[in-house]
Amino acid sequence: MSENKPSVSRGRKFSGVWIIPLLAVAIGAWMVIHTALTEGPTITIDFKTAEGLEAGKTKIRLLNHQIGLVEAVVLKPDVSGVTATVKLEPEAKSLLREDTRFWVVRARVGAGGVSGLGTLLSGAYIEMAPGSATAKRKAFVGLEEPPLTPVGAPGLRLTLFSDRAGSIGTGNAVLYRGYEVGRVEATAFDTKRKKVRYDIFIDAPFHELVHSGTRFWDISGISVNASADGIKVKTGSVETILLGGVSFGTPPGVGARNPVADHAEFTLYGSYEETLENPYQHGAYYVVSFRQSLRGLVPGAPVEYRGIQVGRVERVLIKELAAQGMKGDNDPIPVLIYLEPGRLEIPDSEDSVVALRSDIEQAVRRGMRATLQTGNLLTGKKLIGVDYYPDEKPAELGSFENYTTIPTVETGVDLLQTQASALLKKLNALPLEEVVAGASKAMASADDTLIVLQSTLGSANTVLSGADTVALTGELTATLQKMRFVLDGFSQNAELYKNLNASLRSLDATLNNTKSLTRQLSDKPNSLLLPASNEPDPIPRAKQ
Amino acid sequence: MSRPATAAERGLASCHLCLKLASKDLHQCPRCGSALHLRKSASLQRTLALLITAVVLYLPANILPIMVTDQLGNSTESTILGGVVLLIQLDSIPIAVVIFIASVMVPLGKMLVMFYLCWSVSHGPPVSQRQRTVLYRITEFIGKWSMLDVFVVAILVALVNLGGLLVIRPGGAALAFAGVVMVTMVAAESFDPRLMWDQMEKSDE
Repeated sequence: MSENKPSVSRGRKFSGVWIIPLLAVAIGAWMVIHTALTEGPTITIDFKTAEGLEAGKTKIRLLNHQIGLVEAVVLKPDVSGVTATVKLEPEAKSLLREDTRFWVVRARVGAGGVSGLGTLLSGAYIEMAPGSATAKRKAFVGLEEPPLTPVGAPGLRLTLFSDRAGSIGTGNAVLYRGYEVGRVEATAFDTKRKKVRYDIFIDAPFHELVHSGTRFWDISGISVNASADGIKVKTGSVETILLGGVSFGTPPGVGARNPVADHAEFTLYGSYEETLENPYQHGAYYVVSFRQSLRGLVPGAPVEYRGIQVGRVERVLIKELAAQGMKGDNDPIPVLIYLEPGRLEIPDSEDSVVALRSDIEQAVRRGMRATLQTGNLLTGKKLIGVDYYPDEKPAELGSFENYTTIPTVETGVDLLQTQASALLKKLNALPLEEVVAGASKAMASADDTLIVLQSTLGSANTVLSGADTVALTGELTATLQKMRFVLDGFSQNAELYKNLNASLRSLDATLNNTKSLTRQLSDKPNSLLLPASNEPDPIPRAKQ
Repeated sequence: MSRPATAAERGLASCHLCLKLASKDLHQCPRCGSALHLRKSASLQRTLALLITAVVLYLPANILPIMVTDQLGNSTESTILGGVVLLIQLDSIPIAVVIFIASVMVPLGKMLVMFYLCWSVSHGPPVSQRQRTVLYRITEFIGKWSMLDVFVVAILVALVNLGGLLVIRPGGAALAFAGVVMVTMVAAESFDPRLMWDQMEKSDE
């Protein structure tokens, strides 16, 4: 028994129970690794305010599917806004592009409608619009307003500039012949250009309607126009009356219709009529300087090339001239003009403007000059003409401030005026006194001549009062007496007169007989040849 | 000073199952036939292994959310410590204290005590066996109460289910926490307290 005495078994060195913690660690490690491998990206989004954003609660959604959570919201160091740190699901990793956009969806009540009502109960969330750019990004700036057009939607994005802010607001319709084809995405004021800027989007099939000749105008509200034809009231749709809108079309006379690229810039006109008045969008500024009076030259006055309008006067640069400091009393006054190539049936584009500039440079060498002309003699309205003056000395383009200057000449009425004054000056310079002195000398000699003439007349008088002249008068009287005696022979009691009277009377009777013969001949010209018919005259009778 | 002889010194082992005292030379209990061991076999190893498992499980139990509340499609996840902090912010300090003690202090304390006991049995100074015994008793007693959290979550999940309005779901931490409690209970069970006394008796000799 003692030989095979069993000792207390201590078992194996390591118990199998160690598998349990190893398993736990293994599972834990796998979970950690899995989480680390599938962890989504962390991004930051800057917002103006943290309204509705709550760390750990606010979600990021895409198509209403949660793809992340706001982890922290902190103020920016310069207190210009807040930065939300967002943890995204791994599936959202590929959606983070350069142009990915984020905005906070809250309940919004606006003229365009009510949106985001669901967020009243569930709280605001951040919506994401995936981008399509290739560049990746981790820090974003959130939009303050939800974008109206989804990213990647087919269409055309354009920028309109207007001198005056109408009642057009974000979300307003863009109409083509009254049909909604797009919308205004954003409005802003461009401080550099000092113009109101509208970003609009034209939806896909309609963006082909836009070309370089397209003009945009404001159709907000109601346009009332009273004229001799009556009162004209023009309105858009009810929506555009209440909210405002933009319409576009091609005014007649706009030639070139080149396709436009995304983000092309257009001018927004106040009304359709304005698009007709100023249908050109591209042009070049030039300066012309004149020594003449600029009275009658108003902004908007035409600039003509041989009578064809090619541009208009912008303004007189008197301020700039004064700023430069006037040197003499006869400094030419610069006038800013704006030339539009579109007026010459050249495509209305920047390229044409470049071409125009080089053309003008060439033309000036060949003698092209600008002149100040009177357009209307009654009103004194002036215009600026451009033409070739081959006699002029060759000249080059100059510059004033930042503008190019075109050399000028004086012509027309103004030239006449100048020439007239030059003539007067010459007249003034003539030696009149010498002429007068000469003339008086001539008068004195004429006096002598007259005295000679008087003596000649005296001798003529003596000739007339001579005896021969008196005898001539007596003979003349005798001749006249004889003449009276002859005439007395023709008086009424004279025999000759009576005979003459009887002859006249017999001639008269003969003529009376001839009258009846003539009548018969005119009634019946053949009566001299044929016998007169004795047909009785027809007697009218009563009807039986 | 003489002390009463122990069963082990007499060559007697107690059956694990029926507690019959039998000679340790016998391989099997003469009554119930189960294997006879002088002490629980590999007690320290088992206890340590389970304790380490508990520690591993304790991490997700505190990091992961224990409860997910879906309120009108807006889900809120809450962790144990997050809940304690929230209760303190809501001025419910007594409840916060209860939850903190039951969910954080107790499991943590239990694990630390067990580690201490395992260490002291093999390496510690054989002086404070009474203190160790007290510690062991406390561990055994409070162990069952640390399931409080899991129970609360289980009841809430069962009670609060109002369709889309309000739904409470258990989070991953609930499972891990239940695991911690159970593993520590098994660990306490597999620890043989006689090892403490053995050590004292050895030092007495």
